[in-house]
Amino acid sequence: MIKEDLMARVLVVDDEDEVRAALKRRLEREGYEVSTASSAAEATAVIRDQNPTFDIVITDMSMEEPDSGLVVLQEAIAHDLFTEVIVLTAYGNVSNAVESMRRGAFDYLEKNSPGVDTYELLIMKLAHALERRRSAVGTMRRLESFSKMMKQ
Amino acid sequence: MLFMRNPERSEIFLRDLNALFLEATFQGGDQDILQKTLDAGMHVLGGTRGFLAIMHHETGELSVRCTAGEGWTEDAKRLRVHLAQENTRGITGHVAVTGEPYFTGNVENDPFHVRYFEDTRSEVAVPIMGPFGRIRGVINIESTEENAFDADDCAHLVALGVAASVYLTMEGFIARETALIEIGKNLTSTVELSELMHKVVDITTEALQFEDCSVFLIDENTNQLVLQASRGVLAGNAGEAAYELGEGLTGWVAMHGTPIRLEDPPSDPRWKGRFTEFPSNEIGAFLAVPIISRDRIIGVLRVLRRKSFSPWFSNRFTQTDERVLTTIASQLGAAVENARNFRKLIRSERMAAWGELSAKSAHMIGNRSFALKGDLNELKHLIEQLPDSPIKESMTEVAQSMTRGVDKLDELLREFRDFVVATQLTLAEADFNALIKEVVSESFPKRSPVALKLDLDESLPPIRCDSVKLKRAFSELIENSISFQPEGGELIIKTSLMSPEDRAEFRLAWSRDFIKVEFIDTGPGVPDEIKKRIFQPFYTSRVKGMGLGLSIVKGIIDAHQGQIIEIGRKGEGAHFVVFLPINNSKL
Repeated sequence: MIKEDLMARVLVVDDEDEVRAALKRRLEREGYEVSTASSAAEATAVIRDQNPTFDIVITDMSMEEPDSGLVVLQEAIAHDLFTEVIVLTAYGNVSNAVESMRRGAFDYLEKNSPGVDTYELLIMKLAHALERRRSAVGTMRRLESFSKMMKQ
Repeated sequence: MLFMRNPERSEIFLRDLNALFLEATFQGGDQDILQKTLDAGMHVLGGTRGFLAIMHHETGELSVRCTAGEGWTEDAKRLRVHLAQENTRGITGHVAVTGEPYFTGNVENDPFHVRYFEDTRSEVAVPIMGPFGRIRGVINIESTEENAFDADDCAHLVALGVAASVYLTMEGFIARETALIEIGKNLTSTVELSELMHKVVDITTEALQFEDCSVFLIDENTNQLVLQASRGVLAGNAGEAAYELGEGLTGWVAMHGTPIRLEDPPSDPRWKGRFTEFPSNEIGAFLAVPIISRDRIIGVLRVLRRKSFSPWFSNRFTQTDERVLTTIASQLGAAVENARNFRKLIRSERMAAWGELSAKSAHMIGNRSFALKGDLNELKHLIEQLPDSPIKESMTEVAQSMTRGVDKLDELLREFRDFVVATQLTLAEADFNALIKEVVSESFPKRSPVALKLDLDESLPPIRCDSVKLKRAFSELIENSISFQPEGGELIIKTSLMSPEDRAEFRLAWSRDFIKVEFIDTGPGVPDEIKKRIFQPFYTSRVKGMGLGLSIVKGIIDAHQGQIIEIGRKGEGAHFVVFLPINNSKL
């Protein structure tokens, strides 16, 4: 149980092999347990089969469709309300980024920001997302045990 | 009674006449027929010498087309007619004026005769009539004998004149038919519109014997009639000479869609005479018809003739001229429509393909660069694990240089994407001054040698626009200004409502009001010779980026149906003026 808590599970969804490889390598170096999917469809299947659920899903926005990221986001949240989703967008696609925030993403990140070390930024955001998930899950558990106690 | 006097002569004559009519009707275009007509006249009248002169369609000058008999030289031909015309003296001139046959048996006592050939004693002349009572020419036969001709001879020659008239009329019809077929052929085979216009103008002028011909088309943006093609002096003004709708005779035709056919056009109250193919006082006849395409007037086709030199000759345009010109105009209308549709189709297909290609490639390049960043990140991490050494130092340097390279790539990508999406707007109502303030706070550096001055008109109405894109455009102008004033200077950003003078000066649409925003600085300014090029893609005088900056700005402004121009003077600083329509309901 303790091990499970330490090794956070992350799903990386991107249609480019190189991107998936780069993200996986970096996240594993940070100590995350990383799964990957190369499309919204594959991500949907992986998310449904995963138990325990993913803590964090990092998904590209534009894959099969220009808004495939929104499909992944919806699937992840539907499967586990407390899964945090970070959306990667191409530069300039503000409207999709805003839409994903509106639908409950933790944050979004522009892949191509000149002068920004996107990977360092992602690691920071990931840590924040994980913190929020853990505190939300913790609150939920306390709530559950409290209600159990009340029933007894 | 006419032919009773000499049945043999009559028989020969009738045979000749019959042959001439047949030839004139079925073999138009054969110059020989005029000569044969004159020869037949000489034959039947028994003249010593004779000539046939034709009037110039425009000036009314007579010129000898063929002669018969002795004593003709080139000079003689020219002089003979010249004398005949002088002050309407001369028997030929008299016939050309009156249209009545004339004969004299003793030239010595004749009031009209002008002596040219010493030995001439008798002379007979008959007119060659054309359609609409117009006189086309004169047949003249002389004899060295006194009283050589009588009324009977005169009547014979008149009949020959009719044969010549049939020939000339056929000649005109054939020229017309050839011209229309030629234009028709060109309409179907010429895709390039300006080339087509020039061909139509050439054919119309030459084959249909209009002195000059011009095509005007209505510019859909400015609603002005703009000259597309012409002959002679106006040719150089193509694309520039422009009438407002309703202005002058040409503008009137464009506005009302009705042809105008006039003699002495400057006497018409609608006459303006702004752009004419030759001086106003030389214009004798004017004909302009509307070019109509799918119930819409899209332009005007206009022809002119000079005033004739001869007082008796009218070279006004006829009903037939108007019909022919209207036919050409309607064909031209269809061709213009076709060419425009074709161009639109090509452009929209190209744009769609281009847009898709750009989006795809930008996405793919972006992903590669993102992956590359990841690898570099990893590489740096690995290098850090190494013990300190000169090699480690070098490796770190190389890795940093690579990072800068990838950053550059991202910058280019950003410029490229901005260019591609410049025209895709998401509109919402915005406070324009607030927008300017936001741009300034986001793009104007906190510490800069350039002093910024805002001069905002607080009474501006809200505007429907794409704020994100406009901010992108204005920040480009601000960054530009700063980069051109590295030693310091000033940048004034000024907003206002456009003035009526602006509307006239910058040709803004009449139906809309515009917000005006100016960026005025004290930098080196834009030299005149590059003013037109600065908004073109890939034009840059800065080392940074691809040179899409100002073309992105223009793309964004154009997409808002606005305007941007640079009006500063070199050495006094740059001065960009942007107009944006307030009521952008049409977007």
